[in-house]
Amino acid sequence: MKKVYGVILLVIGIAVLVSAICLYGRDEKLNQYQGQFFDCFDTVTTITGYAGSQEEFSEKMDLLKQKLLHYHQLYDIYHTYSGINNLKTINDAAGVEAVKVEPEIMELLKLGKEMYEQTKGEFQIAYGSVLSLWHDYREQGMAKPNQAKLPAKEELSKRAQHTEMGAVVLDETASTVYLTDKEMSLDVGGIGKGYAVQRLAEYARELGMEHVLISVGGNVSAVGAKIDQKPWRVGVENPDQDSLEPYLCTVDMVDQSIVTSGDYQRYYEVDGKRYCHIIDPHTNMPPEYFASVSVLAKDSGRADALSTALFNMEFEEGLSLVESLEDVEAMWIGKDGEIRSSSGWKADEKK
Amino acid sequence: MTKKIAYTGMFTALAFVFSYIESLLPINLGIPGIKLGLANLVVIVALYLIGVKAAGILSLVRIVLMGFTFGNPANMIYSLAGGVLSFVVMVFAKKLKFFSVTGVSVLGGVCHNIGQILIAIIVVETVSLLYYLPILILSGTVAGVLIGILASVLIRHLEKALAVSQ
Amino acid sequence: MVKFAPPADGRPMKKNDLILIAALLAVALLAYAGVSLYSKVSTNKAEAVVYQQGKEQGRYRLSENTVVEISLENGDYNILQIREGQAEITEASCPDKTCVRHRPISRQGESLVCLPNQMAVEIENGADSGIDGATD
Repeated sequence: MKKVYGVILLVIGIAVLVSAICLYGRDEKLNQYQGQFFDCFDTVTTITGYAGSQEEFSEKMDLLKQKLLHYHQLYDIYHTYSGINNLKTINDAAGVEAVKVEPEIMELLKLGKEMYEQTKGEFQIAYGSVLSLWHDYREQGMAKPNQAKLPAKEELSKRAQHTEMGAVVLDETASTVYLTDKEMSLDVGGIGKGYAVQRLAEYARELGMEHVLISVGGNVSAVGAKIDQKPWRVGVENPDQDSLEPYLCTVDMVDQSIVTSGDYQRYYEVDGKRYCHIIDPHTNMPPEYFASVSVLAKDSGRADALSTALFNMEFEEGLSLVESLEDVEAMWIGKDGEIRSSSGWKADEKK
Repeated sequence: MTKKIAYTGMFTALAFVFSYIESLLPINLGIPGIKLGLANLVVIVALYLIGVKAAGILSLVRIVLMGFTFGNPANMIYSLAGGVLSFVVMVFAKKLKFFSVTGVSVLGGVCHNIGQILIAIIVVETVSLLYYLPILILSGTVAGVLIGILASVLIRHLEKALAVSQ
Repeated sequence: MVKFAPPADGRPMKKNDLILIAALLAVALLAYAGVSLYSKVSTNKAEAVVYQQGKEQGRYRLSENTVVEISLENGDYNILQIREGQAEITEASCPDKTCVRHRPISRQGESLVCLPNQMAVEIENGADSGIDGATD
């Protein structure tokens, strides 16, 4: 009798175990794939997701790439594309006429205006006239480092007179955008990529992808968690590019976005001093408070704009802004490597 | 028979409480699966004093209860794998009469950890989890010795108590 | 009705238990030796994989010091140097030089990217860095 009981017990145990494995392992037939392309927003796009086969994943990757390419073209300020009214079209028509735009542009500019108010002007989308001047000097400085120069103060302040947000007229009923100042131009470098990533994440969900990590040049957005329900783990790059430690800390993300603004990737040097690509609208100069600022938020577009704004603000001012916002956390890395963060920032500091 | 059922129920409740207490203890060595295994103390005592069937049932019920209450149902599969392997090995080890309670407990502790890691390797599909094997064998042995000594003391005393109450 | 199992031995441990414990400790030690040997071997397997326009161009083991010139048909190039288990770009024709400034890479999933030349070097088969993505 005893033996019979033992056998029955063993069989039940094994049955429970096997069914648990089957239940748990339902999704396990999906493999993790990663796709990469270089064509959007002048940076690398990496998409990590799950699919039953490489073909299935590539199919979805193609759709996502098409989508992102569309945003890239809409927000481009250097090139025109046939059949599309993009930001260059709007800039070219400044002071001349209103331009009919797609909802993707209208929504972006609305968010841009909102972020301008929220950050008290530290984030600016109508700042193209100044940014383009810096852009030209930086390009020249990188091509010929020994002849690198800074733009003249007078020229900068002259250009800065054409950055009035009030001159950006959004007509939602007619869905048109009009820049009333002929000398002004839009530049959405500090928000366009993040906004596009957010929309791409939503599009991925529409395609039935529930576990995706999208990274467009360091604008990282997580759709859901990983397939095993663990959060996506994202490393925050060490601004010290000579250090052998690639990441200062890691952040676990589920349905969240993180964006970092830093001075260590795009910059040029004049007389041995580093001038980065982010310009403070209040001084017309690159700010020198931090090496990088990372912002974690639900919405990638907001995170993008905020990281730019915080990079332009002193720590205390930025901290009180972050603390006043719901679901937004930030980490500041000083030029000396000092790390500070908002109260809700959760990260594994790893050495 | 009734007594046996009553004891089984009582021991199950005890194992459940022990698991809960252990889940409250903030022992985190950064390696998954390292724990004392207080519930195993109850399982071993039941194995020696009530019988194989009762011990097996209480072990299973305890795991399922924990999974649906204080634990995570998704993690239940790991506890189940560890629990079943550990229990089967302990039953055979006891039958062999080659080891004392401590030896049986040590085998149980080690097999619990091995069962968990094997199932984790299957589920997560990462063989690299084997890196944890040495430390898990070590921790299983240490926990097994502690639980085993406790269990043999308990068995010695409870045997009389339970016999008297008969 | 209840029939108790034979009483447990008075002593908490028998000689056999001690042998068992010693054997298990030996197994743990052996497994540790095996694992550390294996992980050493697996870091040696790490490779720097060069991609151009998304296509794989070559694989170079991090354990072997070497210098590779990765060139495009239009004359643009990146020089990849592998030394002491690390890969880095020491020279490049691109205007921004982001790839040259980047620190050497050695861990699984880390990458060096040169956008103007559409070139990427990625570490594969290396020790796991435990990271799914990075923000910079």
